[in-house]
Amino acid sequence: MPELLPNVRLQLANTPENVVLVREMFSGLAEGLGVGESDLNDIRTAVTEACNNIVLHAYSGGPGPMEVDVHVASQSLKIFVRDHGRGIRARAEQEIDADDCSAGIGLHVIQTLAHDVEFQAVGGGGTEVCMEFVLPGVSALEPCSDKQALSSFASSQPSPAAILSISPVGLARTVLPRLVSALAARAHFSTDRISDTQLLADALVAHADGALSGDHLSVCVNVEPREIELHIAPLMAGRARRLIGDSELDGMGRVIEKLTNRRRVTKVGAHETLTLGLVDSR
Amino acid sequence: MVSATTTTPSLRFDRGATENVTELFARWQDQGDPAAREELVRRFMPLTRSLARRYDRSSEPFEDLLQVASMGLLKALDRFDAERGHSFPSFAVPTILGEMRRYFRDCGWSVHVPRGDQERALKVRNAQETLTNEHGRAPTVNQLAVYLELGIEQVIDALQATEAYETKSLDAPRPRGDGETTTYGDSMGQEDERYELVELDATIVSALEHVPARERAMLHMRFVEELTQTEIAARVGISQMQVSRLLRRSLDQLRALTRDTASEVC
Repeated sequence: MPELLPNVRLQLANTPENVVLVREMFSGLAEGLGVGESDLNDIRTAVTEACNNIVLHAYSGGPGPMEVDVHVASQSLKIFVRDHGRGIRARAEQEIDADDCSAGIGLHVIQTLAHDVEFQAVGGGGTEVCMEFVLPGVSALEPCSDKQALSSFASSQPSPAAILSISPVGLARTVLPRLVSALAARAHFSTDRISDTQLLADALVAHADGALSGDHLSVCVNVEPREIELHIAPLMAGRARRLIGDSELDGMGRVIEKLTNRRRVTKVGAHETLTLGLVDSR
Repeated sequence: MVSATTTTPSLRFDRGATENVTELFARWQDQGDPAAREELVRRFMPLTRSLARRYDRSSEPFEDLLQVASMGLLKALDRFDAERGHSFPSFAVPTILGEMRRYFRDCGWSVHVPRGDQERALKVRNAQETLTNEHGRAPTVNQLAVYLELGIEQVIDALQATEAYETKSLDAPRPRGDGETTTYGDSMGQEDERYELVELDATIVSALEHVPARERAMLHMRFVEELTQTEIAARVGISQMQVSRLLRRSLDQLRALTRDTASEVC
């Protein structure tokens, strides 16, 4: 059976501040899918529990990757929260050793809020929590068809703040601006420049459509103090420059150029990656 | 084949204080000893508190959340059947969460929470103006969080909320002559013009001409004069968040217009 690819994948390190990014991602997704406040709150709470568990227990308190996948199915969201750390048994034992009556309640919280929960060992080490939320208003979305799409930045970026892969691209319209503005806040951007980052994310999603090599978009974000860098892939050959050109505003220049401080195009195999740097110099 | 392992809830709690808890339940449920119940409440208060904290991002005061969660705990203590072999927490967590979700559903999410968020959004907007005036530049999210004694996430959400609420109030259907106005509509006075955008006039060359003059001016200030959004806000006399929202909105409209024109040409 072919592996079912997610509509959204967010890859991060297991830091507490990244749990906020995961929550922001779900807020954006809920807005795009028309999921109500009360359901969103259940989803955010359950996903937060699963992520906090990875932050605290998956790598014995050390650093390691955290992955969140979302499959938009008919009338439901299937959410996978995954780590590549210690297996689930070792973690359960560590929690018991903590000998605290409130340890492990995260699991009960997830079981209460999600309609269905499964825990699985990940091949090669690690644990995956699969949660299903039943949401009557949601329609299924075509999953990402290209397996490569999920690994656009596998080796090119040493330690990104976040990698978002999303398909269909339209889903990014509400997700990407939220995610990048949370990252811009982390980079100590002023609210001015955070808003610019949103404008940039809007422009990227709007113009990426004709430039991408398939119906999936991957964005890798690096964060430095007062600086963020977005890598957008996989673009068809020659389309990275055109994407910038498409943001031309009648007689006012190109929006993407005006909002960014640096722009670079890199060839990656048959594709291109567009790199955009934003600085808050004030 | 990956082996699927499911941890059972009881695995996690059946050590440590379990014996005592079992005894306490026997004393409370079989003999009606109120001291035993009191001790059980004391012992499971950390769990209750920890569950209430999970909902602390809502606009409800934490004390209220804790009270609702505690009611859930009392219900769980009364209904728990130790004979069934489950640990108490595995029974109590769903009961307490159920109580809290019911509370939110009955009197919460639909009314209080959006209003609470809206109030917070307003506070953030005011703080933004105060700090901008103080420092001569727009604040960072960290500065806003420190100033308002809020979490980073709460500020980020409030900034988003400002946009959402104001956009919603603009997008709400507004039948002619109903006499209702939004604050935004009052301050901008360009409402009707904006709605005409949907009817595309093929003879007009520039999509920009479809954007109301004031928004066009703001686009010019941002992208030609290269002013910051705060500088534009000061010049136009609205908040930076409003500038942000109006720029986003007019850029969206322009893109939609350009797309429509392109597809007509094809």
